[in-house]
Amino acid sequence: MIISVASGKGGTGKTTVAVCMALAAEQCQFIDYDVEAPNADIFLKPEIKNIKKVTIKQPYFLTETGKSFSKCAEFCHYNALAVISSEVMFYPELCHGCGGCILVGPEGAVREKDVEVGEVTKGFTGPGIDFLKGNLTPGSMRTTTVQNDLEKMIKKKDLVIIDSPPGNSCSMVMSVKNSDYCVLVTEPTPYGFNDLVISMEVLDMLKISYGVIINRDGIGDSNVEDYCRGKNIKLLIKIPNDVEIAKCYSKGGTLLDYDVSYKAKFQNILKEIEGLCSKKP
Amino acid sequence: MKLCITSTGTSLDSNVDPRFGRCPYFIIYDTDSGTFESIENASRQAMGGAGIQAGQFIASKEVVAVITGNFGPNAFRVLQTAKIKMYSGISGTVREAIEKYKSGQLTETSSPDVESHHGMGRNS
Repeated sequence: MIISVASGKGGTGKTTVAVCMALAAEQCQFIDYDVEAPNADIFLKPEIKNIKKVTIKQPYFLTETGKSFSKCAEFCHYNALAVISSEVMFYPELCHGCGGCILVGPEGAVREKDVEVGEVTKGFTGPGIDFLKGNLTPGSMRTTTVQNDLEKMIKKKDLVIIDSPPGNSCSMVMSVKNSDYCVLVTEPTPYGFNDLVISMEVLDMLKISYGVIINRDGIGDSNVEDYCRGKNIKLLIKIPNDVEIAKCYSKGGTLLDYDVSYKAKFQNILKEIEGLCSKKP
Repeated sequence: MKLCITSTGTSLDSNVDPRFGRCPYFIIYDTDSGTFESIENASRQAMGGAGIQAGQFIASKEVVAVITGNFGPNAFRVLQTAKIKMYSGISGTVREAIEKYKSGQLTETSSPDVESHHGMGRNS
């Protein structure tokens, strides 16, 4: 069973919830899909086993051949290449590595090389949690390429908990698309509510079931709760707005460190989700 | 001799558009004949690399100078390679910009004015 933890608005407590779920489950694979800013390792403190580079193919142009590369520039949909007479200007940050320039360019004069865009780190927390995270190289835009490498390492037979990146764009879709269930974490504020509804629209389109966790309960208004009631959306738990939780978090502590009763609470949530998923055809 | 001015519209009375890569129109003005043509900027909606694509296009038009509000680093590199003179920080109408150029009031730009992705605002 794959459970993703997502949230349209940033900073609502995705990692707090995902980490808490993993610790409550005791046996699972935990994957930090927020490759632009992975931080679950601060709380899960995994022992690192190995780090693997993530690379893409990018072209380079043998200008010394004296051949014309203008066809390559014409072809490039991403405008990663400009050719002015014999000058070839390549903009690697715009290149998607599609290889089209090799096909349309002068034969043998466009070659490919591996370019590093990130890395995937494997480790474990205690005996039961397999830890995995992706890191995007600063300056690179290949977020989903790194996530693709994480996807290949999913162990579908186990319980898998995915900590998604914030927002509702490509990188979020990548992290939720294989889930059996998505936990949406929000805060009861107009911003939280607005972005929560967008996340729900994405999940509806992907036909993924979801439930909601309200974090920092007590601030804002009742719009999130009223909306969930009205639409019959499962409200899994409310976590209070408590400065002690924040203090604990700031020292790398988890919800379980703050109050051990959250372990049982999250074990119940996991059981509930399992029940909901097994009912599906 | 041909000049390129980034424009908000299709006439000489349109305003100079502050963006190079994502301006709506290019006005190509021929100083010898005093005639001009306006060309819709196809790179305007590009997902990325608008300045690169627009720069290549303008280079193919055999202009000697481009007059605009700002050049980004990618467009700057392409135009520099094409040995096209660049004039930035220009506002007012296209006609006024041409007059200023003709009377030698413009100073050539020696470096990019803005970062990449500058002209990608939501309403641009």
